[in-house]
Amino acid sequence: MAIAEPTNNSPSYIDKLVVPGDVVLDLSSMSNQTIKLGGGLRQDCDSITAMKAGMLRFSKPNKYWVESSQKRYVPSAGDAVLGIVVDTKAENFLIDIKGPALAYLPVLAFEGGTRRNIPKFEVGTLIYVRVVKANIGMNPDLSCMDASGKAAEFGPLKDGYMFETSTGLSRMLLSSPACPVLEALGKKLSFEIAVGLNGRVWVNAAAPSTVILVSNAIMNSETLTSVQQKLMVDKLLQRTQ
Amino acid sequence: MEQRLSNTWRMTINEKKFIKTSLLADLRVDGRRPFDYRRLIIKFGSEDGSSEVQLGQTHVMGVVTSQLVQPYRDRPNEGTLSIYTEFSPMADPSFEAGRPGESAVELGRIIDRGLRESMAVDTESLCVVTGKLVWSIRIDIHILDNGGNLVDAANIAALAALSTFRRPECTLGGEDGQELIVHPPEVREPVPLIIHHLPIAVTFGFIGEENIVVIDPTYFEEAVMGGSMTATLNTNGDVCAIQKAGGVGVLPSVIMQCLRLASVKAGDITNIIKNAVKSFNTERSLRKIKRHNSSVIDVSETAQKVDVKFSTNHVNRLKLSEDSRVAQGNGMEVDGQISQKEGTSKRDSSAKSFIGGPSSWDPHSKGIDPDALRASFASRVVLAPTEKLEDSKVDEPTDIEPNQPIVDDNSYISPKEATNTKSKTNEEKTLIDAIKPKHRRRRKASSQH
Repeated sequence: MAIAEPTNNSPSYIDKLVVPGDVVLDLSSMSNQTIKLGGGLRQDCDSITAMKAGMLRFSKPNKYWVESSQKRYVPSAGDAVLGIVVDTKAENFLIDIKGPALAYLPVLAFEGGTRRNIPKFEVGTLIYVRVVKANIGMNPDLSCMDASGKAAEFGPLKDGYMFETSTGLSRMLLSSPACPVLEALGKKLSFEIAVGLNGRVWVNAAAPSTVILVSNAIMNSETLTSVQQKLMVDKLLQRTQ
Repeated sequence: MEQRLSNTWRMTINEKKFIKTSLLADLRVDGRRPFDYRRLIIKFGSEDGSSEVQLGQTHVMGVVTSQLVQPYRDRPNEGTLSIYTEFSPMADPSFEAGRPGESAVELGRIIDRGLRESMAVDTESLCVVTGKLVWSIRIDIHILDNGGNLVDAANIAALAALSTFRRPECTLGGEDGQELIVHPPEVREPVPLIIHHLPIAVTFGFIGEENIVVIDPTYFEEAVMGGSMTATLNTNGDVCAIQKAGGVGVLPSVIMQCLRLASVKAGDITNIIKNAVKSFNTERSLRKIKRHNSSVIDVSETAQKVDVKFSTNHVNRLKLSEDSRVAQGNGMEVDGQISQKEGTSKRDSSAKSFIGGPSSWDPHSKGIDPDALRASFASRVVLAPTEKLEDSKVDEPTDIEPNQPIVDDNSYISPKEATNTKSKTNEEKTLIDAIKPKHRRRRKASSQH
């Protein structure tokens, strides 16, 4: 009796756990509506099924994706990530974005990029990029511009410290009511932070001690509740001052 | 190729630079000071002789096992200690399965040097029968996660596993008093190893142009450092081993400073290990009490019966009398020859004097009359069924076919020991080989039967 229920009101899946094979949405029931699919979802004719276990998320106009926490990043179009330059080719930079394959960053995918002014990146440079294309079986394509062709914060990151976390933690850091750790840290310290959805986090501040404190606080916060996070940050700040 | 590229871990310029610059301010990226050790956690498995060590992110498992083997010729009364390392690709993508890399070999060597060459484990107490049977202790080190400073973690894992390891008690018994009985742990309490001291490895890294010294480098620091030094010390402050890796040069004064630091850290780590072992042992004895209560066996009364039963079921039985002949073979051959020529009856006593000593090899190098040698082998066959070596029979070896005699001693020995005996006979063969190759061929043929 209860089994037949979910198919009717499929939106109930939002913010619930889904496992691979779950039919998350039925397109036949929601005609003339455009939706955008993020990572972990695929379309089979009229049904949208989950491809991995995690939480189904929905963001206001029409975006759906499955969120989970893992070490390896599965590229999906539209994600902002932190990449490391591995090699330079004539047409592309090869970038490591923690995915199953290296990603290509075309040398012209910079604001005002022409053949004349190709940027020079040393191997090991950290850059903040956006995933443009992520098709299965192909190397993902990256870009250092937003959709309108502006540089918009994308580009190489200088100095600071980069560390790796899980993809879940990086999503938590990016959540819209600012994450409790960052909020607590931001009240007392001033620092710069760049979070990639691939689980890489870059932190920069004037003093190295601040960078170390912030990065360790973030790394420790993974399994803590918001109250615990605040307590932890307070304790860390007390110890250093 | 590209797949490999995407799987390898790489470090950004930012990280490298940051690690170096923050060290100038006496700070390390994980919040430690340069001379702080990471948090050390030692856990033990349910069985004796297995340990799991966590040093920050680094995760190492140590397992100790033992086996009865034939000792080395030059050390007839000493057991052996060997160390094997396994670097799982799970720990670090740069490790290849089944192919020990440079770091795997180096790690094994450092631990080996610290443990074996400082005589930390009493090998003489591992002897069961001189020249014939000793315990061989094998330490397996599995790297489960590489978070840097594998050497120290692996060393601690090895020590922790060794300190909790217990080998089964064994006695000589049986009808002729020459049979080896290995008592299962239910019957007799296994005995712990005798460990004289704990050699603790402490690793230092030298980072940047200024060669800033850090203790217990992490994975990231290892990627940046120009060189490292591992000092192995015990609580008494004895330096057991030093290993200096990497190209960077270090001042003698820095080395002395490192050694002083290391001796302090070695004391701390020894305490941690000892406390962990102590709590494990109390827990173990508590468990044992429970086991005895529940067990049906009344130890005091049926001890003898149980002994016999187990020895037939799953206990190594070794006909030591047979085995001994193989081991002493070379000494005795020569002896037989002497007794034939001189007609004296010193065989028993001289056989003893020949055991294991290098002097027993000398007659071979001088070259012996092959017929006499064959005869001496034959004499051994005659003697085989009897316990004591009787000289009266040695006098008439000519009755026996000279071709058939070289004994198939393997057949008397339990299959478990067969491999050891094989190596044993190999050794013999090569030496006899030096005298007469033809003889070896015949011998081989006979042993294959």
